[in-house]
Amino acid sequence: MTTTSPATSSTETEQHGFKAHSDGGDAFVPVQTRSERFASTDVAAFPAVTGREPAWKYTPVAQLADLIDGELDGSEYSFEAPAVDGVAVAWVGRDDKRIGTAGTPENKAAANAWTAFEKALVISVTGEEEKTFRLHRTALGNTARAAHTVIEAAPHSRALVILENAGQAALTENIEIIVGDGAQLTVVSVQEWAEDARHLAEHFAEIGRDAKLKHVAVTLGGKIVRVNPSTHLGSQGADIESLGVYFADAHQHLEQHVYVDHDAENTRSRVSYKGALQGEGAHTVWIGDVLIRQTGTATDSYEENRNLVLSEGTRADSVPNLEIETGDIAGAGHASATGRFDDEQLFYLMARGIAEADARRLVVHGFLVEIIQRIGDAELGERIEAAIERELAAGDLQS
Amino acid sequence: MSDVLIDRPELDSLGVYEFGWSDSDAAGQSAKRGISKEVVANISNLKNEQDWMLQRRLKALQIFERKPMPAWGADLSAIDFDNIKYFVRSTEKQAQTWEDLPEDIKNTYEKLGIPEAERQRLVAGVAAQYESEVVYHQIREDLEQQGVIFLDTDTALREHPEFFEEYFGTVIPSGDNKFAALNTAVWSGGSFVYVPKGVHVEIPLQAYFRINTENMGQFERTLIIADEGSYVHYIEGCTAPIYKSDSLHSAVVEIIVKKNARVRYTTIQNWSTNVYNLVTKRAIAEEGATMEWIDGNIGSKVTMKYPSIYLTGEHAKGETLSVAFAGPGQHQDTGAKMIHMAPHTQSTILSKSIARGGGRAGYRGEVRVDANAHHSKNTVACDALLVDRISRSDTYPAIDIRVDDAELGHEATVTKVSEEQLFYLMSRGLEQDEAMAMIVRGFIEPIARELPMEYALELNKLIEMGMEGSVG
Repeated sequence: MTTTSPATSSTETEQHGFKAHSDGGDAFVPVQTRSERFASTDVAAFPAVTGREPAWKYTPVAQLADLIDGELDGSEYSFEAPAVDGVAVAWVGRDDKRIGTAGTPENKAAANAWTAFEKALVISVTGEEEKTFRLHRTALGNTARAAHTVIEAAPHSRALVILENAGQAALTENIEIIVGDGAQLTVVSVQEWAEDARHLAEHFAEIGRDAKLKHVAVTLGGKIVRVNPSTHLGSQGADIESLGVYFADAHQHLEQHVYVDHDAENTRSRVSYKGALQGEGAHTVWIGDVLIRQTGTATDSYEENRNLVLSEGTRADSVPNLEIETGDIAGAGHASATGRFDDEQLFYLMARGIAEADARRLVVHGFLVEIIQRIGDAELGERIEAAIERELAAGDLQS
Repeated sequence: MSDVLIDRPELDSLGVYEFGWSDSDAAGQSAKRGISKEVVANISNLKNEQDWMLQRRLKALQIFERKPMPAWGADLSAIDFDNIKYFVRSTEKQAQTWEDLPEDIKNTYEKLGIPEAERQRLVAGVAAQYESEVVYHQIREDLEQQGVIFLDTDTALREHPEFFEEYFGTVIPSGDNKFAALNTAVWSGGSFVYVPKGVHVEIPLQAYFRINTENMGQFERTLIIADEGSYVHYIEGCTAPIYKSDSLHSAVVEIIVKKNARVRYTTIQNWSTNVYNLVTKRAIAEEGATMEWIDGNIGSKVTMKYPSIYLTGEHAKGETLSVAFAGPGQHQDTGAKMIHMAPHTQSTILSKSIARGGGRAGYRGEVRVDANAHHSKNTVACDALLVDRISRSDTYPAIDIRVDDAELGHEATVTKVSEEQLFYLMSRGLEQDEAMAMIVRGFIEPIARELPMEYALELNKLIEMGMEGSVG
């Protein structure tokens, strides 16, 4: 079960992917391409985390030692998932052949989870009819735990899969998303954890020919929450729409590393993450890596991150990286913007007789709701909107 | 590789001559490779430096030895620090005749259309000095009347030590990065500029105007101080591709822009394609000051250079315009940094990159807005032009906002030169090469127009030459 990616050659040192120079000696070459990062499912293959690694430089690693290389509970956990036709849920053993097909961990915490999980939860989608499946995890508890999930959409199947997370958690996990040829899958992961929860998640997606994945990460609650969706577009016509919404309150650290790897002809990606920050010590991190390989001809790619800063004492990091190895693309670009309220909008609303506090709320709401509406599930959308309202109201009380 | 690039025993004797240093022991020293306390002490000794500078160098050497190589950026694994000669001033040799120049450099001059007289000046040190002396003196007298100091850094350290005691290493401490430490340990040459309060230097200052037989070293150190309300435009003297045999060029440029002053610093870097160009450039912009970097990177094997501006005073402004061009075998890892440390500061970064023939060009940057820098604004725009299937374009911006009312925007667009564009131009009677060159000229025009005309023309020429054979 322990695999190491082909990128790991014998000349590779164990220093987060810095390859030893072929001449030997101590000269090393920094990782030159996103796809060359060291990857392994074995926690022992990674050196101790210092906090200076590209994967960790923005993360408060001191508060995550147990998840990064401590002992983890990898047993089955309880969840709720109302039955839906065309969606099957089952625990499977580590030898299940689907495991490891969508990606390999690139950091020690993810490898720790991979090393420690005992059973993987597989959600299998079949059938061309539209359906919505919800899975709730609310009782994971405070013990450091590993989890592994596989979401598999059969060729030409369709579904909306919603993973809802609440309650206490000290969790490091890997989620593999396998989208069969021609399938159309939406996966929404909602983090509404309790205040002291810590959650590190890697989502790996492999998208089939002419298939489409819409991936949405919504993070509102938790002390430290890091959700890193990676998508490999390795088949012609594969399409990823990667969306995210986050709202960081005082002393909350919300982080996401989005990676899209264009590795086949005519692939398309759209990445859009929007976040708001409010309160002393609120910190958000968004890293968007887009790699267009030489194989990714006629790629069409765009990524953006927008942050709205609502109070002092916050910190928003935004890093939209773009690596392009061929000139034969349809288009590529990225954008990042961080700012405060649009004073004009605010002025306009207030001129209509709306009180300032309400006007501010409306502006934030409008900013974030654009992503929420793209989830395509009214019930969930309303719940998230309500949760954002509560966050904003709490902010008003503080200030 | 380093053997070919650095081993130039024929220059040892020149070194002896230039320093007026005929001691045979010292001559033996000058041939020594690698870096050590003795090497550093010897450099300082040759320059008759005061003890504090020697101590500074020795401390920097310790930092250099301790610091690891950068964990990011270009592949620098071929640099062998033990195989480099650090006696920089003497290892530079200007070719004595036109024929002495390597073939590719000669071709470049031919294509640039540099006139015969100019060639003489460029290639024959003695003649050149006679040729330009009149001009030089005129400019120098004007400047001196205004109190402007414009000297090579070694001379400036001897004649005006007070500036160095106050400012040297304050903008870029030796611990900033491994290459800044290396430079601090072995620096030689470079320019020193001081512009007094309220003085506007009307003509751009160029290293070229300076009679500097030592030429610019591998590890030059430049310090520019623009006092309150002054203005100066400094142009780094790489107007034509100076033949450079060294494998490693690691300069440090420190600039202090005082209250309401403005400094513009222009570089068109065109080192030969066997040079590792690892340069640290940083400016501090005080209250109401304006700093502008105009940075063109056309030559070198690898360039890692991110001119930065620390906006430390209220209403300070920073602007960086950057063009990177990478041909076969070249990696331009260039960019900019803007650190907003005071309220109402503004900055703009415009970066244009072109890669062809398997080259790699990109933008790497950082924008930070500190918690007290309220009402600050920044925009970054990165454009890359893709012309073939095998070249590479990267964009690595990092944006860090710690205040609630800053406005920041970053945008990158990557454009492919399309068949339609080429076809359209060719249908108007242009050859394919000309059509491609025209598209590229249009692409870099926003930056080229900020340059003095002769430099803009040259930038265009250099890029056109680099683009030759890129289509078809």
